[in-house]
Amino acid sequence: MHQNLSVSQSIVTVRNLSLMRGEYLAVDNVSFELLSGTHTAIIGPNGAGKSTLIKSILGLVEAHSGKIRLFDGTGKQLTRLKQEVGYIPQKFPFERTFPLTVSELVGLGLNNKQWWYSSKRKRKKIAQALEQVHLTKQAQQKIGTLSGGELKRVLLAYCLVVPRRLLVLDEALAGVDATGELELAALLNNLKQEHNWTILEVSHDLDLVSRYCDSVICLNRRLLYQGSPSTTLTPENLLQVYGALVSPTSHHDEPSRIPESF
Amino acid sequence: MMNPAEFLSLFSLPFMQRAVLGGVLLGVLGGILGSFLILRRLSLFGDTVGHSAMLGVVLAGLLELPATWTLIGFTVAFGLGVIYLIDRTDLGSDTVLCISLSGSIALGTIGFSYLKGYRGNLLSILFGDILAISNTDLILLFLLLAVTLAWIIISLPEQILLTLNRDLALVKGVPVRNHRYFFILLLAITIALTIRAVGILLVNGFLVIPAASARLICQQFVPFLATAAGIGAFSGVMGMVISGAIDLPSGPSIVLVQLFGFLAVALWSRQV
Repeated sequence: MHQNLSVSQSIVTVRNLSLMRGEYLAVDNVSFELLSGTHTAIIGPNGAGKSTLIKSILGLVEAHSGKIRLFDGTGKQLTRLKQEVGYIPQKFPFERTFPLTVSELVGLGLNNKQWWYSSKRKRKKIAQALEQVHLTKQAQQKIGTLSGGELKRVLLAYCLVVPRRLLVLDEALAGVDATGELELAALLNNLKQEHNWTILEVSHDLDLVSRYCDSVICLNRRLLYQGSPSTTLTPENLLQVYGALVSPTSHHDEPSRIPESF
Repeated sequence: MMNPAEFLSLFSLPFMQRAVLGGVLLGVLGGILGSFLILRRLSLFGDTVGHSAMLGVVLAGLLELPATWTLIGFTVAFGLGVIYLIDRTDLGSDTVLCISLSGSIALGTIGFSYLKGYRGNLLSILFGDILAISNTDLILLFLLLAVTLAWIIISLPEQILLTLNRDLALVKGVPVRNHRYFFILLLAITIALTIRAVGILLVNGFLVIPAASARLICQQFVPFLATAAGIGAFSGVMGMVISGAIDLPSGPSIVLVQLFGFLAVALWSRQV
C-alpha cells in the first residue's frame, strides 16, 4: 500500500491536451492535475470526450498535442509503474463461451511476479478481492454466465487484487443494481480514505458524484468547470455543460448512506 | 480391409512411424495455437494464409528453391504483411483478408501456368501428403513445439489478458504488439509445415476444429489449452490408424476424426 504518500503528490498532470477522434477534435486544450488520495469524476454529455480523455491518460489514445505525465515516471520505470494502474473499461465485449472463470480473470490482475506465486497464496489474494465485491460464490463460474453488473464487480475485483496508486473507471457502476451501486461507491471511498488510492472516473450519476467525489471536471470537448461538487454541480453550470436543465442531485444535504458492512 | 498382422506391420514401417509422430506434433501445435486463433477471432486469417501458400509453392517451383523453406518464408512474410495491413488501415480485418486471399490466389494461378514440366503435383499441394514427412520436418516440428510451449508458459497470463481484452493488457504494460507479431510468426510456420502434411484445403481444420471442440467443454483456460492439444494429438493418431486400416488418404482421415470429435462434443454439451 502507499499510505506514506503525501496527499499533495501529483499522480496525473495533464497540460494543454488536445485529442482527435479521426478527423474530429474530441478534446480541446484541457489541463488539470490529479492529486494522490483524491476521487475525481469527469462528467459531461455523450460525445464530450470523457472516455477519450481517460484513454489518453492510460496510454490507449495518442495525444494530438499537449502533455500527460503519469506518476512522474518515464521509460522502463513507467512500464513498471503501469502495474499500479487499475482500469475498468466502459464496454467489455467477449464471447460467452470464453473459457475463463471469475477466479482466473481476477488472478490476471496480479502482477507478473505474483502470477507465479503458489496456488494457495494466489487463491488467498483472489478470494479476498472477490469477498470485497461480494462474489465469493461465483468464483468458479465461467465469466460468460455473469450479468453485466456482476461482470463490473469482477473487473473491480481484478483491480483490487493488488494495491493500485491509480484506479480509472469508465462508467464502472453503470449496469450495477441500486444496492450494489451504493456498496461499490462506498468501497471506492474506503480505498481512497484507508489506502490513499487515487480514483478517476467517468460518471453520469451526479448523485453519487456529489456524495463521494472530492473534485469534478465538467467536460464538453473543452474543460468548462473544475472544483468541488458543491461549487461545480450548480444548475447554471450543468445547463452550460449539458445544454439542458439537469438536476444536480436530490440528496445534497442528506448524510451519506454508506452500508455498515464497509 | 487388411488383416491384423498386415495392419501392425504397417506401423513398423519408418515412413508410417514418422507420419504418426508428425500427426501428433501437428495436432498438439494446431490445438495450442488454434486455441488463441479462435479466441482472437482470427480463424479467417489461418484460412487466408493457408490458401495463399499456393503462391509460395508456385514461387518455389518457378525459382527452383527448396519447397519447405520457401513455403515457411512465404507464409511468414505473407502473414506478417497481412497483419501489418490490418493494423495500418481502417478497413475491417475480414476485408483485408479477402483482398489478400484473392490477390495471392490470382498470382498463384497465373504463376502455375508458367511452371514448366510435370504439374501433377497440384493435388499434393491441395491435399498434402503426411506419409512424405521427413526427419527434417520432424526436427522442425519438435523445435517449433518447444519454442511455442516455452513462449506460452512464460507469458501465459499476458496471453490470456490480451486475448480477452486488448485495452486491459495495454494498461497493464503487456507488450501487445510484440506478442501479436510473434504469435503470427509461430502460426505462419505451423501452417507451412501443416500444408506439407494435409494440404492447403485442410490446413485450417488442424487449427480450428480441436480448439473449437475444447471450447465447448472447458470452463478454465489452461485445461482448455491442454484439451485442444490432446484432441489434436488423439486425432492425429486415430486418423492414421483409420487411414491405415481401411486404406483412406491420411490427411483427410485426420480431419474427419477431428470433425466427428467436434460433432460428438457439440451433441454431448448440447450446443447443437
